[in-house]
Amino acid sequence: MALVLLLCGAMSDTPSEYQVKAVFVYNFSHFVEWPSRSFPVANAPFAIGIVGADPFGTRLEEAIRGERINDHPLVLRRFQDASGIEDCQILFIDRSQAKRLDEILASLDHRSVLTVSELDGAAERGVMIQFAMKENRIRLRINPQSARAAGLVISSQLLRLADIVNSSVER
Amino acid sequence: MTARTESIRRSLNRMLLIASGAGLVLISAGFLAYEFFSFRQSSLEQLQTLSRAIGSNCAAALAFENPEDAASVLSALKADPQIVAATLYDVHGRAFAAYPQGQPAAQFRARGAHAGFEFGRLGLTAYQPVTDGAKPLGMLFVRSDLTSMYGRLGIYTVLMAVGISVSLALAYFMSSILQRRLLRSIERLAETARAVSERQDYTVRAEPTAVEELAPFTQTFNQMLAQIQGSEGKLREQLGRLSLLQSITRATAERQDLASMFQVVLVSLEKDLPIDFGCFLQYEAGARELTVSGLGSAGQALVARLGLSERGVVPVDADGLSQCIAGHLVYEPDVTAVPFPFPQRLAQAGLRSLVIAPLIVEKQVFGALVATRLQAEAFSSGECEFLRQLSEHVALASHQSRLYGALQQAYDDLRQTQQTVLQQERLRALGQMASGIAHDINNAISPVSLYTESLLEREPNLSERARGYLGTIQRAIEDVARTVSRMREFYREREAQLTLERVELNRAIRQAAELTRPRWSDLPQQRGLMIDLKLDLTETLPEIMGAENEIRDALTNLIFNAVDAMPGGGTLSLRTFKVGVAETGERSVLEVRDTGIGMDEETRRRCLEPFYTTKGERGTGLGLAMVYGMAARHSAELEIESMVGRGTAVRVSFPAMSGSLVSNVSAPDAPRGPARCLRILLVDDDPLLIQSLRDTLQEEGHEITVTPGGQAGIEAFTAAHAGLEPFDVVVTDLGMPYIDGRKVAAAVKALAPATPVILLTGWGQRMIASQERPAHVDRVLSKPPRLSELRASLSELVA
Repeated sequence: MALVLLLCGAMSDTPSEYQVKAVFVYNFSHFVEWPSRSFPVANAPFAIGIVGADPFGTRLEEAIRGERINDHPLVLRRFQDASGIEDCQILFIDRSQAKRLDEILASLDHRSVLTVSELDGAAERGVMIQFAMKENRIRLRINPQSARAAGLVISSQLLRLADIVNSSVER
Repeated sequence: MTARTESIRRSLNRMLLIASGAGLVLISAGFLAYEFFSFRQSSLEQLQTLSRAIGSNCAAALAFENPEDAASVLSALKADPQIVAATLYDVHGRAFAAYPQGQPAAQFRARGAHAGFEFGRLGLTAYQPVTDGAKPLGMLFVRSDLTSMYGRLGIYTVLMAVGISVSLALAYFMSSILQRRLLRSIERLAETARAVSERQDYTVRAEPTAVEELAPFTQTFNQMLAQIQGSEGKLREQLGRLSLLQSITRATAERQDLASMFQVVLVSLEKDLPIDFGCFLQYEAGARELTVSGLGSAGQALVARLGLSERGVVPVDADGLSQCIAGHLVYEPDVTAVPFPFPQRLAQAGLRSLVIAPLIVEKQVFGALVATRLQAEAFSSGECEFLRQLSEHVALASHQSRLYGALQQAYDDLRQTQQTVLQQERLRALGQMASGIAHDINNAISPVSLYTESLLEREPNLSERARGYLGTIQRAIEDVARTVSRMREFYREREAQLTLERVELNRAIRQAAELTRPRWSDLPQQRGLMIDLKLDLTETLPEIMGAENEIRDALTNLIFNAVDAMPGGGTLSLRTFKVGVAETGERSVLEVRDTGIGMDEETRRRCLEPFYTTKGERGTGLGLAMVYGMAARHSAELEIESMVGRGTAVRVSFPAMSGSLVSNVSAPDAPRGPARCLRILLVDDDPLLIQSLRDTLQEEGHEITVTPGGQAGIEAFTAAHAGLEPFDVVVTDLGMPYIDGRKVAAAVKALAPATPVILLTGWGQRMIASQERPAHVDRVLSKPPRLSELRASLSELVA
C-alpha cells in the first residue's frame, strides 16, 4: 500500500533525490547477501541504521514500512554516534559523519554491515557503497573489497551497475 | 452384372493408393502437427526461459534505474534471431528499455503481474514480471517471430509431399509388380475359362498358381473342368452310340430278312462300337441249344479258332447263356474265369470280355446277341446298356420282318389266287361263250350233216355232179364240226368218253417229234434254216394216266409253236424229267423249249386264251388253249416260262400214276344199222333238227315218233307205254324249255327202266361238267349227230 502511495506520489511529481536514495537503500537488501550469523535469531529484524543526521526524513521509513526481508521485518534505527551501529545490517553514514568515518568504519570491525554513504571518496576510504551524482543521475560506487572483508556478497547485477572502487588506504 | 465393369488391377491400385496415401497423409499431418506444437512449445519454453533470465538480469537495472544497463542486457537477445522485439516496462508501466536498440520501443499490451505468453498475429509474446524478491520492479515483454517455425513446417510439408509422392509411386510400382503376379494367375484362369467357353475344349487346365487364395480356386476350377470333360466324353460316347444305334436301326429297317439284318448289325458293331467279334444265336423256346444264325465278318480268323459256323449249335449250360435265355443281359468281364464250355471256347480263341444280350419279342426270348472283345473288362456299363437297347431294336426289327414276310407271303398268295381265279373266270366265260356258239352251230349243221350223209348213202341215183357237191358239203360240214369240236377241246374238262390209259410220256414225245418232223426239219431246210432238235428224256420216268392222243396232240401243238417262234432257226429241246418224291407225289414233267423270239409279259399272260394268236391269219388261237384244256383234264400243271429274245419253255407236269386203271376202250366202228326195226321216240324243240333226224332214222327203217317238247315227249311215251306198242328207244335233246332232256329221261326210266335213253346235246361239256353223266341216260351224243354214231349207239343199246 505504501508502495502504491509512493508510486502515486512519484507519479504526481518527479521523485526527489533522497526519495530515490531511500528506495536504493532498501533495494540493496535484495542485491546483497548477509551471512546468517549476522542475525542473532532467525526472525531478528533487518535493521537499517542511519548514523548522523537523517537526510531521508520520513522517506526511508515510508519505503521500508511493512516490508520484510525473508523472515526478517525491516526496522529503521538512527544513531548519533558509533555506538550500537554494529547491530545494523545496512548502515547509512550521513555526510555529517565525514570526520568520524574512519572511526565508524573501524568500529564496525569487519562486522557484516553494509555501509552506504554519500560522502565523496567514501568508497575509497572503505565504505562499501557510495552514492555519486553523475550526469544528474545517482550512480553507485562500490568497494567490493570492503564488502568481501565484511563477509557480504554483493550481487553481480549490482556490481555491473556500479563503478568498482578499491580501497586507497590499506588497513 | 453391373453395368460398369472395372478391372481388378485398377481397383486394387486405387484402393492401395488411397489407403497408403491416406496413411501417409495422416502420418504427415500428425507429424506436422506434432512438429508445430512441439516447436511452439519449445519456442515458448525457450522464450520464457530467456525472458526469465533477461528479466532477472534486468532486476538490478530496474531497481537502480539504470536503463543503459537494461538495454545492454536486452541486447543479449541478439543471440536469438527469432526474437524480434522486447520491451522492459518499469513498475509504473513506462517503457524502461527496449530491444532492438536504436528503434522505437515495441508496444505491448499491459498484462497482470504474472508471467505468461500469447500467440498472436505477430508471433509469440512472453511477458515476465521483474522482481527483487517479492517486490515487483517491472514487466518484460519479449516477442519471438514464428516465421522460421512456419518456414520449417513449410519445408517439412514439402518434404513430406515429396516423400508421400515417392512412397505412393513406389507403392504403385511394387503393387503393380505384386498384382501382376496375382493377376497373372487370375488372367490365366480367365484365359483357361475363355478357351473352354470359346473352343469347348475341356482338355485345357488352369496352371497351378503361387497365390495362396487362388490355389483352391484353380484346383476347384480344374476339378470342374475334369468333371465337365468326363461328362462331355460320356455325352459324346452316348451320342456316338445313339447315332450308331440309329444307323443300325435304319439299316435293319431297310432289310427284311433276318440273315442280312443280323449281318448288317454285326458289321456295324464290329466297325463302329467296335467289338472284336460278334454273332447272333437263335433260340427255340424250350430247346437246350442255340443255333448260330449270324457271324461277324471282322473276326474271320477268330471264327475259325472258335469253331463256330453258320447254323452251328451252341449248347446251353448253367452259364450266361441260360441267364440270357431267361431274359437277362449277361456281362462276363473275363471269360477265362467262367468254367463253362461256351465261355471257355471264347477264351481259347483269345477273347476275354463277353456281353450276351437277349432278343426278346412279346416276352419270348428268341435269340441272343453276343459281343466280345479281346481285352478283359472291356465293356463299360454304357456299352452294356447300348447293347441291351440294340438287342431290343434288333428283336423288334426281326419281329417286324417276320410279320412283314408273313404279310408279303399272304399278299403274294392272295395275288396268285386272284390271278388264277381271274384267269379261270375269263376262261370259263370264254368257254361258256364258245359252248353256246358250238351248241348253236351244232344244232344248225345237224340237219345238213344228217341229210347229206343220208343222201350219199341212200340215193344211188345221184348224178356224179350232185354226189360231188354233196361230198363237198359233207367235208365242209365235217370241217365245221371239227373246228367246233376243237373249240370244245378247250373248254371241256373231261368228257365222259375220255378214257384214261397208261401213257408213256417218252413214247408220246418220240411219236410227236416224228409226226412233226416235216415242220421242224424239212420245211425250214427248204428255206435254208436249221432247227436242231434235242431230245433229253429221262428213261425211268413214272408212267402217268391219261389220253395219249390228247397228249400227243398237245405236244404237236407245242412243237408247232416252238418252230413258229424260231423263224431264223434255233434249238428245239424236248425233255422229260421227274420231280418230287414218292411220298409227296411224284410228277412227270415234259418240257418243250425253244430258243426263239419269246413272249412279252402281255402275251405270256394271255397266250392261253382261246383265239388269242400272234400268228395272224396263220393261227387259230386255239393251240395253247387246247394244251391248257388237256392239262386241266389230266390234273396236270401247265407252266410257261418265257423271255423276249431268249425263248420260251412250256412245261406240263403230270401227276404220276395213282393206280386206278381204265382199260382202253376205243370206240369200234359201229355196225351198219340195227338188225330190226325199232320204235323210237324223238324229243326235240328244234324243228329242223327233229325233221332231219326223223328223216334219216326212218330211212334206216325205224319207226319214228316225234314230239316238239319235253312235256309232249313224256306224255307220248306214257301213252305208248300204257298201250300195246311201247317205244324201244328214246332219243331226246338235252336243252329244251320247261322240261329238259334230263327230266324226260327220268320220266322214261321211271316208267320203263329198261328203255334206253340217248341224250343229244349241243352243250355236251357243260352238262358233263356239272355231273359226270346224267342219271337215267344211257348214252350222250354230241351234236351234230353222226348217222354212224347213232347207228352204233342204237345197235349197242338195244342189242
